[in-house]
Amino acid sequence: MTTAFALALLAIVVLSLLGLPIGHAMIGGSILYLYAKGLDIGTAAEQLLNGMYTSFLLLAIPLFILAAEFINSDSIIDRLLRFCNALVGRYRGGLAQVNVVQSIVFASMSGSALADAAGSGKLMQSLMTRDGKYTPSFAAALTAVSSVIGPIIPPSIPLVLFALVSDTSIGYLFLGGIVPGLLIGAVQMGLIAVTARKRNFPVESRVPLRELPRVTWEALPALMMPVILLGLLYSGVTTPTEAAAAAAAYALLVSALLYRSISWQDVYKSLATSARITISIGMLIAGALVFNYVITVENIPKTLSAALKAYELSPWVFLLAANILLLILGCFLEGTTILLVIVPVLLPTAHALGIDPVHFGVVVVVNIMIGLVTPPYGLLLFMMVKIAEVPLKDLVREVMPFLWVMIGALALMTFIPEIVLFLPRLLGYKG
Amino acid sequence: MRLRKAGAWLQRRAENIAAGLLAVMFAAFVVQVVFRYLLNFPVGWTSELTVVMWLWLVLWGSAFVLREREEIRFDLIYGAVGRRARIAMAFVFAVAIVVLYGVSLKPSFDYVSFMKVEKSSYLKIRMDWLYSIYLIFLVAIIARYLWLLWQLLRGRDPAAVDVSKTVSGL
Repeated sequence: MTTAFALALLAIVVLSLLGLPIGHAMIGGSILYLYAKGLDIGTAAEQLLNGMYTSFLLLAIPLFILAAEFINSDSIIDRLLRFCNALVGRYRGGLAQVNVVQSIVFASMSGSALADAAGSGKLMQSLMTRDGKYTPSFAAALTAVSSVIGPIIPPSIPLVLFALVSDTSIGYLFLGGIVPGLLIGAVQMGLIAVTARKRNFPVESRVPLRELPRVTWEALPALMMPVILLGLLYSGVTTPTEAAAAAAAYALLVSALLYRSISWQDVYKSLATSARITISIGMLIAGALVFNYVITVENIPKTLSAALKAYELSPWVFLLAANILLLILGCFLEGTTILLVIVPVLLPTAHALGIDPVHFGVVVVVNIMIGLVTPPYGLLLFMMVKIAEVPLKDLVREVMPFLWVMIGALALMTFIPEIVLFLPRLLGYKG
Repeated sequence: MRLRKAGAWLQRRAENIAAGLLAVMFAAFVVQVVFRYLLNFPVGWTSELTVVMWLWLVLWGSAFVLREREEIRFDLIYGAVGRRARIAMAFVFAVAIVVLYGVSLKPSFDYVSFMKVEKSSYLKIRMDWLYSIYLIFLVAIIARYLWLLWQLLRGRDPAAVDVSKTVSGL
């Protein structure tokens, strides 16, 4: 590590702590590095521009965001919720179970936990608290933790980012996320079943079985979206980005023609919202592209990997340490930053220890998603405080039991790689 | 007051453009999929158009569309301290970014203008034009942070950050 690098790192950390947006902090710190090293400062421009211009895979991100925005109309959400209610509403704590199942359903259409919480999650919140069925803080906690499933089940924005930094196949990463996402949903539903009995949660009126075909039929066009997306992805017919575009186009067609739930104004609003989210992540990616150049010049990941090798770490110890490190970082940092800055530093070591990149990627993403609901800094917590108007303290108290079972599920998929790798291997992954 | 109104108007137009860039990107993809898989007639210019839109969307948007409170930042300290401390913190980072981006202006201009020797593969647009958005971005960010400095000097709190407004794709 050179003095110039230490200086740049210090600048990035200090500027970020002071409150400068992290993308700018990374670009600024990298400029400082180039200056201190006496290198051409124009390299920052070159790295940023060429990096953005050539990473075709990244275009999947705005398209996934757009697809989710298009499908996120009230009438579609309504039909999907009725479908979920017909499935699990009949059990004790029925609406709470519906909240998890709808998160799984929406997870297969959207790649963002925050978008899920703001869309269908918000509606679940009002359904659960209506007539005082559930306390607002329990409903908000559940909406927050179930939204975590969104980016684990494909499509997934963080998995696209991981594919970018690790050069791993996005298709296999997506496949790898399916079982872990369902597992997270399962442990949450298990916890709800136990809590429901203890706290005597209400049961929803039973939807007769003969209603089920009609309810399913009404939700079917929306439910087909993940089928189309995954079908295109795994048949290898289109590139992942094209599959994302096709999914967005399908979502637009379904909501415009079939459900007639979207006006021109809505289309513009979807575009503008998606553009904002894209810009926000894009800026972090831009900063990371420049800073990763600096890290590569300095050979940091290889050095770290060599240093760790001297300790003769076993892969399990490394995975455990990486998980703990990421969970702690997740309490304080926004997840995209962790994915784009911290994870690339860990990757060579993971590789040297023979850890499967798809396994590692899914574990890392699940971990970072859990970070969205860990206090003190959890974006999903902040969002639910706003939506549900509950104090953060009460929300955190209700989130804690869920947090523990999710960390338990994370431990399971960390130490039993087959949970992640079973599906990809079934479909031809040679890892 | 009039200045603020004009600013808000310009910002809405900037958002229109950003939404337009995304719409073009999306449309180009749809054209590409239709041509390649339905008509069996692959076209190359669409994929070039999409990456250009992506590059411009991010840099344009960061310069003119995204508001202070929407950006991803570490705000545990920034949001918790008192008004005077926050003004001081913002002052330091604003000066830092003006200086650092300022220093990089000339070398970045040199790099971008050097790219005039290359043209994009399908649309044959000169690369220095395509990359010029980076220079616009640099100048706009410097101007924004100079404006922030001016506001700070007049004692205005740089916005108590509302973390629930952070726009993140996770």
